[in-house]
Amino acid sequence: MLNFLDAPHTLHLASLEVGHHLYWEIGGLKVHGQVFLVSWFVIGLLVVASLLATRNIQRIPSGIQNFMEYALEFVRDLARNQLGEKEYRPWVPFIGTLFLFIFVSNWSGALIPWKLIKLPEGELAAPTNDINTTVALALLVSLAYFYAGFSRKGLGYFAKYIQPTPILLPIAILEDFTKPLSLSFRLFGNILADELVVAVLVLLVPLFVPLPVMLLGLFTSAIQALVFATLAAAYIHEAIEGHGEEEHG
Amino acid sequence: MEIFWQLATGAALLGTEVAEEGGGFGLNFDILETNLINLSIVIAVVVYFGKGFLSNILGERRSAIETAIKEAEQRKQIAASALAEQQQKLAQAQNEAAKIRASAEDSAKAARDSILVKAEQDIQRMRETAAQEMGSDQERVINELRQRIAIMAMQRAENEIPSRLNDDVQQRLVNSSIAQLEAS
Repeated sequence: MLNFLDAPHTLHLASLEVGHHLYWEIGGLKVHGQVFLVSWFVIGLLVVASLLATRNIQRIPSGIQNFMEYALEFVRDLARNQLGEKEYRPWVPFIGTLFLFIFVSNWSGALIPWKLIKLPEGELAAPTNDINTTVALALLVSLAYFYAGFSRKGLGYFAKYIQPTPILLPIAILEDFTKPLSLSFRLFGNILADELVVAVLVLLVPLFVPLPVMLLGLFTSAIQALVFATLAAAYIHEAIEGHGEEEHG
Repeated sequence: MEIFWQLATGAALLGTEVAEEGGGFGLNFDILETNLINLSIVIAVVVYFGKGFLSNILGERRSAIETAIKEAEQRKQIAASALAEQQQKLAQAQNEAAKIRASAEDSAKAARDSILVKAEQDIQRMRETAAQEMGSDQERVINELRQRIAIMAMQRAENEIPSRLNDDVQQRLVNSSIAQLEAS
């Protein structure tokens, strides 16, 4: 649908390959290979960083240990701000993973010259610019908050649908669908749009003009990761606390 | 694991297939097309500013942790010395307590002995007075009994006399009495 962007092929400038994917067929499923490749790269990056940080743990942290501890502290504070002092601990790994994965994905898409590597079809980019990735992440968030609600209240979790008044039941049910929808589309849209804008600008003026947009893209990417993780934590908190019962702050 | 293996083989297969078709994996060194210049500038900017920012924050964090650990260690030392002091005081107090206890036991023993001795004396004295009283009572009772018996004997005698005494008997009695008097 965005194939009109391929038009300047004749000008021998950069070509945009939106909608082209490196398809792998696994058990009858067509998967987007380039997303997997970059996801593996991101996962590997995170794992290696974690291993390096914890390989030689010092009492007074320095170097990468210090950096990763800082990152951990950041995610922990994020989870604590949303979930509250009492509940946040078990959710730090989940929310931290979301944040770190999305953040590193976004920045790897914005910083690493993936186009150096030519694929048979499609091109390497941030995994989060593929709707499948973001939908998967958003559905994980949905599962997480349902799990949180049920494990906390059992079937009483359904009571929140008719609180404060049963009239809002349809809206409450609708919310469960709009939450993953908005989460996934927000992230996907922002990242893809940013990459497209940069790509189009590069297409038109290859040098220097895209720079502000690229820097802005870095900023947006970071913000989007933060927003996703924060919203995930907020949804989990909402499921744990219920509607307006013991809400504080 | 299975799925990863499948993925890997699938990737390899697909890669070779597509490579045969002419696309294939490869490297693209077209500087403009790969946006290399802009990216390197962005990376340079990020590294330049990010490094300053990060090293600043991380340094602060490190020094904060260092001071926190140092303070904690100082507090630990202070606490340890206070503990030692208090333990010493405790030992002293225990010593004192033992001393007080020993002296208290001594005095208790002395008091017990003195009380025992006194009690024994008292018992002795009471026994003596009791024995005395008993002796005097016995004497009194015996005297009384004696008197009563004498009186009763006299009465019986007086009662018997008129019935058994006649002139003949009286004559003999008087004579024997006179004979007795003469003999003596």
